[in-house]
Amino acid sequence: MKAIKAIYNFVVGDIIILIGVLLAVVILALIHTVSFLAPLRAIEGIILVLVVLAVLVATLNRETLSKR
Amino acid sequence: MQWAVITAAFLASAVEFVEAFTIVLVVGVTINWRSSLAGAFAAAATLALIVATLGVALVRYVPLDILRLVVGVLLILFGLKWLKKAILRYSGLKALHDEEAIFEETMAEVRARGEQVTPRFEPFGIALSYKAVLLEGLEVAFIVITFGTSAATNVCSQSCGINAAAIGAAAAGLLVIIVGALVRAPLTQIPENTLKFVVGIMLTTFGTFWAGEGLGVEWPLADAFLPILAALYLLASFLLVTWLKQRKRPQAALASERATQLPEKEVLS
Repeated sequence: MKAIKAIYNFVVGDIIILIGVLLAVVILALIHTVSFLAPLRAIEGIILVLVVLAVLVATLNRETLSKR
Repeated sequence: MQWAVITAAFLASAVEFVEAFTIVLVVGVTINWRSSLAGAFAAAATLALIVATLGVALVRYVPLDILRLVVGVLLILFGLKWLKKAILRYSGLKALHDEEAIFEETMAEVRARGEQVTPRFEPFGIALSYKAVLLEGLEVAFIVITFGTSAATNVCSQSCGINAAAIGAAAAGLLVIIVGALVRAPLTQIPENTLKFVVGIMLTTFGTFWAGEGLGVEWPLADAFLPILAALYLLASFLLVTWLKQRKRPQAALASERATQLPEKEVLS
C-alpha cells in the first residue's frame, strides 16, 4: 500500500488531475471506437486540449477553495 | 524535433539536478565530502542500471503508439502537477520554492542529529546523499526515457530519441555541477519557479501531443503544432494567474477584517 501511495505521489499526487486525464483518454477512445461519434473525430485534438485545460482550472479552483 | 527533445529534457532535468545538488552540498558541508560523494556516485550507478534495463526493454518490446499514449498521459499528469504548483506560486497562494530555505532546513536537521565534519565515511551522510540523488535522478531517468522514446520519428529511432534526451539531461547535470562548484552556494540564483513553470508548460504540451498521437489524433501542421500548443497553454496559464490573483484579494481583505474584529470581541468579552 505504501509503495502504491509513493508511486501515486511521485507521478501525480492529485486525484482531480488523475481522473480528469483518464477521462480525456476514455472520451477520445470512445470517439475512435463508437461509430455515431465519428463526426467528432475532426475536433478530437481540440477536445483533448479543452479537457486538459478544464482539469487545470478544476484543480486550481479546489486549491483556492481549500485555502479559504 | 531532436532539438526540441534536447531542450525539454535539459530544462526538466535541470530542476531535478538543482534539488539533488542542494542536498549533496548540505551533506558535503555539514558531514564530509567523502560521504556525500560516495552516496551520490552510488545513486548514479543505481540509476544507470535502471535506465539501461528499462530503456532497452521499452525500446524493444512495446509498440510505438501504445508507448506514446502511456508516456503522453504520464507527461500530462507530471506537467499539470508542476504547472499547478507554479501557477499557485505566481498568484501568491503558495510560498515560492526556496532552495536557500531548504539548505538551511537540512543543515539544521543534520546539526540536530549531532553530525560533525569528520574525514571518515558517515552512514547517515551517505544515505542522505544517496536518497536525494536517487529520487531526483529517478525523475531525470523518467524524463529521459519518456521524452526519448516518444520523440521517435521516421528519421530518428527510439534509441536515437533516448540519446537526444540523455544529451539534454547530461548537459543540465554538468551545468548545475559546474555552476554549483563555482558559486559554492545553494543554487538560489536560478529562479526555480520560472524554470518549473516553463517545464510544466513543456511537459503538458508534449504530453498532450503524444497522447493525442497515441490515440490517433491527427494534429494540424504535424510537429509544427507543438509551439502553437505551448503558446496556448502559456496564455491559459497567464489568464489563470490573473484570475487567481483577483480571487485572492477579497480573501486577503476578509482575513484582515477578521483579524481586526477578533481583538475587539476579546476586549468585549
